[in-house]
Amino acid sequence: MYCNTQRLLWRNLLTQCRGFCVLTGLILALNVQAAPRTPASDTEVLEKLPTRAGDNTARELSSLRAALVQAPTDEVRAIELVTRYFDLAMARGDPRYIGYADAVVQRFPATRSAPLLTLRGMLRQYRHDFASALKDFDAALKQDPSQADAYAWRGAIFLVKADYAAAQQACDGLQRLGRDVLAGGCLGLTQAYSGQLDAGYKTLQKTLDQAGFPDNQLWLLTRLGEVAAWRGEPAQAEVHYRAALALGRDDVYLLAAWADFLLDAGQPAEVVKWLQSWESADGLLLRLAEAETTLQLPDAARHRQMLADRFVAARARGDTTHRAEEARFELRLRQDTKTALRLAAENYAVQREPRDARILLEAALAAQDTASAQPVRDWLRSSGFEDTRTRRLGQTSANSTKTGSTR
Amino acid sequence: MRWRRLLVCFWLVLCGPVLAHKASDSYLVIDVQGAQVSGQWDIALRDIDFALGLDTDGNGEITWGELRARHDAVAAWAFNALTLERGGACPLQVTQHQVDEHTDGTYAVLKFVATCPASSGDVALDYRLLFDLDGLHRGLLRLDIDGLTHSSVIAPDSRRQTFSGESVSRWTQLQQFMEQGVWHIWIGFDHILFLLSLLLPVVLVRVNGAWRGVDRMGESVREVLWVVTSFTVAHSITLSLAAMGFISLPSRLVESAIALSVVVAAFNNIVPMFNRLRWLVAFGFGLIHGFGFASVLAELGLPQDALVLSLVGFNLGVEAGQLAIVVALLPVIYWLRNTAFYRRGILVGGSLLIMLLALVWLAERAFDTKLVST
Repeated sequence: MYCNTQRLLWRNLLTQCRGFCVLTGLILALNVQAAPRTPASDTEVLEKLPTRAGDNTARELSSLRAALVQAPTDEVRAIELVTRYFDLAMARGDPRYIGYADAVVQRFPATRSAPLLTLRGMLRQYRHDFASALKDFDAALKQDPSQADAYAWRGAIFLVKADYAAAQQACDGLQRLGRDVLAGGCLGLTQAYSGQLDAGYKTLQKTLDQAGFPDNQLWLLTRLGEVAAWRGEPAQAEVHYRAALALGRDDVYLLAAWADFLLDAGQPAEVVKWLQSWESADGLLLRLAEAETTLQLPDAARHRQMLADRFVAARARGDTTHRAEEARFELRLRQDTKTALRLAAENYAVQREPRDARILLEAALAAQDTASAQPVRDWLRSSGFEDTRTRRLGQTSANSTKTGSTR
Repeated sequence: MRWRRLLVCFWLVLCGPVLAHKASDSYLVIDVQGAQVSGQWDIALRDIDFALGLDTDGNGEITWGELRARHDAVAAWAFNALTLERGGACPLQVTQHQVDEHTDGTYAVLKFVATCPASSGDVALDYRLLFDLDGLHRGLLRLDIDGLTHSSVIAPDSRRQTFSGESVSRWTQLQQFMEQGVWHIWIGFDHILFLLSLLLPVVLVRVNGAWRGVDRMGESVREVLWVVTSFTVAHSITLSLAAMGFISLPSRLVESAIALSVVVAAFNNIVPMFNRLRWLVAFGFGLIHGFGFASVLAELGLPQDALVLSLVGFNLGVEAGQLAIVVALLPVIYWLRNTAFYRRGILVGGSLLIMLLALVWLAERAFDTKLVST
């Protein structure tokens, strides 16, 4: 029996190598399922729904849906529903709401409504279809030059693509519209990414003083924490993070940044404390598993397996938006440096944020293939990004590339 | 909320769908054999709830009772969104409702059958489930047509797909089974070690209780031919008999006997027993190894319409794999044959190692335990 399993494993490998099947990932995903079963009792709870029928969200959604059913061509009602779906997707990290929103937007293929075009762009950027998203934002701004959302999202996309001149233009657009907090956030980040950490820090700090709503404060504090850490001021970074956490709002992104900070600071036990109840969020589960693996906790193996299953499921549907996280998973939790490097390089071709740069540098160094990190070294040179850790990684990889070529 | 969304974009864009949950997928597995169709369709309860409303009592939980009460509605809704055609529509009929878990929750499982108007030709599939409600929904399809597997991810812009019903060309099929044969001999360490143990002494002859190197390569080649041919003939016989279903042995017995064959063959190099009768050992244990190959072939799934073809292909592959090993091995051991390193280090020392390893296998397989992890 044991021998057969082994053969089966090898045969699967062969299948992958030889390309007998187009989508081995899909086959795997279809095979991974356990055996179907028939529940014993009618009272067995099979699934807990994200919105309880009685709560406000459910009521609100169903009235918005009903309104659209009554007037299926009414763009204003569609905009309300799509906006609500998008907010829910962001707050809960649930992509199904993006799918629902997408289906509504698709009913208006020829729309000229600026808000609807902007929403379509937002849905497209969610799938990392940046080119189409930018076209939508351009079209929206043509219809309505005061569409602040379109500027803000353009800025965000250009930051991801490391096109800082274009990002700066989007920030200027927001400034012209008098949207100071948005403009300040946009500008502060652009400065921080492009070699002006101090200026970026000051801009974000100033914007924070203007920001009234706790949501905005939370976001700005989180980014200030990141920028402070890049400036080599971990104590200051911790102050910002703790201030953000003290606002007492669940925020997946804040927790992810905070966990990364703690992991870098060598405090995995703290990470476990903060993320224990967050295993449903892939990004946080990754950080939790990293911390548990470092501490050799019993849950580590189970969490690693959960992550692996989720990545297989995502790949089966052709979803490539998780590559940066998957690269980190392969590098730090599976020590598969080759796969990690491939994923990190594929990711960097699409997303070029500091964190994307860092994982590519780390994977390239671990796989002893520092030539693959050339795009990051080019970016470090052209942007002047100042984070000491990233620069040191870049320097190490540059050195080993040189030694490699003279050898 | 709105303000937050605006600012948060500077962070979110990078992370994409971070989360918890995943976008909506359904898993559709269909097996088409001639005109007969059977299949299984897994659809997330959350998705069914979104389309039909399952939570009758409104407590935010879906129970088996709530799902069971809506089984007919679920089947009608699902099969209204799926068309399968072979020479015309194949009306799908649900045979059983169950549930299963996937990474993002519980799914309803619909098992179904159908009969198509034609028993050959292309198979067309039109999939429309949930596309009107969820733009990110995907149908993950595995479709077997007369033993050939197709897979596809169905999206709103590819909802109608046609799959070729032509069976793979005979030549391709033969090639595939040959590749499997080669591959199997290369990764089947027990087969390699058995062969290796029998081949190590072919460059030596036993004279007055001591090993001496052969004079000419030809002697070794003749010996190799005897051994390899006997092994081949023997395992071909049992492989064919087993593959055609005439004989079947318990896998534990077969695997244990294979391990035993390696032990015996290796021991013979340390304490010579068979000497020039090694071909007989090769033949005898070759019969056992044939059953081992047969279980691999069974796992590969034998196409009933091309049984002989696949048997021949697989066998040819195994021979080619063996031949490659012999061709690589023989010149080296011939060259080393007169050294003490070869006679003591390789022949005796190597065989000892092989024997120990095979003993571990034997114990593991015979007692169904795990002594060392692999």
